[in-house]
Amino acid sequence: MAFTIFFVCAWLIISVFTVIPKRLTLIENTFIFLTTSVISINWTWIINEELKYVKITEDPSNYAGFLIFRSIIIPTLLMVQVNLYNPSSSPVKKALILIASVLCLVLLTILSRVLDVSDYKDWNLGFDAIYYVSLHLFSIGVSKLIRKSTRIEVKQP
Amino acid sequence: MNFLWEIFDKNEISIMVLIAIAYTIFFILPFKFKREITWLFMLLGFTIGVFFDFTIGGGLFDFFKLNDTDHYELFDFCYYLIFAPFSYFFIYFYDTFNVNKKTFIFYILLWIIVGVIMQWVFTKLGIVEFQNGYEISYSFAVFVITQTFTALYFELIRSRFRVLKNI
Repeated sequence: MAFTIFFVCAWLIISVFTVIPKRLTLIENTFIFLTTSVISINWTWIINEELKYVKITEDPSNYAGFLIFRSIIIPTLLMVQVNLYNPSSSPVKKALILIASVLCLVLLTILSRVLDVSDYKDWNLGFDAIYYVSLHLFSIGVSKLIRKSTRIEVKQP
Repeated sequence: MNFLWEIFDKNEISIMVLIAIAYTIFFILPFKFKREITWLFMLLGFTIGVFFDFTIGGGLFDFFKLNDTDHYELFDFCYYLIFAPFSYFFIYFYDTFNVNKKTFIFYILLWIIVGVIMQWVFTKLGIVEFQNGYEISYSFAVFVITQTFTALYFELIRSRFRVLKNI
């Protein structure tokens, strides 16, 4: 069940990313996807496997759902968020985009607990929420850093 | 559990030597790509290493052990750093040799052989230890996917952006 739900969620988020107007270039979007993937993968490994704060399912199909969430949904949602966040001029709109995006991840985390993908041992949802907020701020920082330190030249058609 | 290393021996020294060799070559080669392209493909190589290792090399599948243990330690991270310059070399020579539709398959095959040989060397040096029925021939599929993806992605980037410094 978890596999199907997370697969559909991944499809939905990729579709949203495909249809939204992209204010970042392919290079900038790739930087955000790759850096947040590395953090997401390392974070989940350290929290789940090294510190054992969260127990991840041993059921193969549910585990596939966990992998989709960790490696596809989180980085893609962050790309969507930065593409919507950067062009917004009002701070209220920026805050609403950030909150909505964090909320999506928190809801998916709750869903993963409901579907027995993960089980908190010495952890709580608040820590996950703090992590998601930090990850969002990090992705915004990466986009600003790339824009500041590089001069991406698009080829003329 | 030790976050630095389990036992500092052959595999840790080998990783340090390999990093030194790879990054020396990286700095010796003339920088032909724009800065963001160099960073992008180094990051891509690093991420691919992390992605595959944490997906099939750990967790439920756990097909290989890195540096004597299944736990995450400093030299695991150093091992992923080796992937970054190799990803750069891959696109560096792809561009240098003007790989086209006719030579694409041969170029990918050549790098797959390089990848599999490197993985074999890693097992001999004790950096990687296969387990749970994993065989080196399975890495062929991993390299087919990663190297074909990297080449196609480079083609996409090159079609949309200026990638070379001097143009």
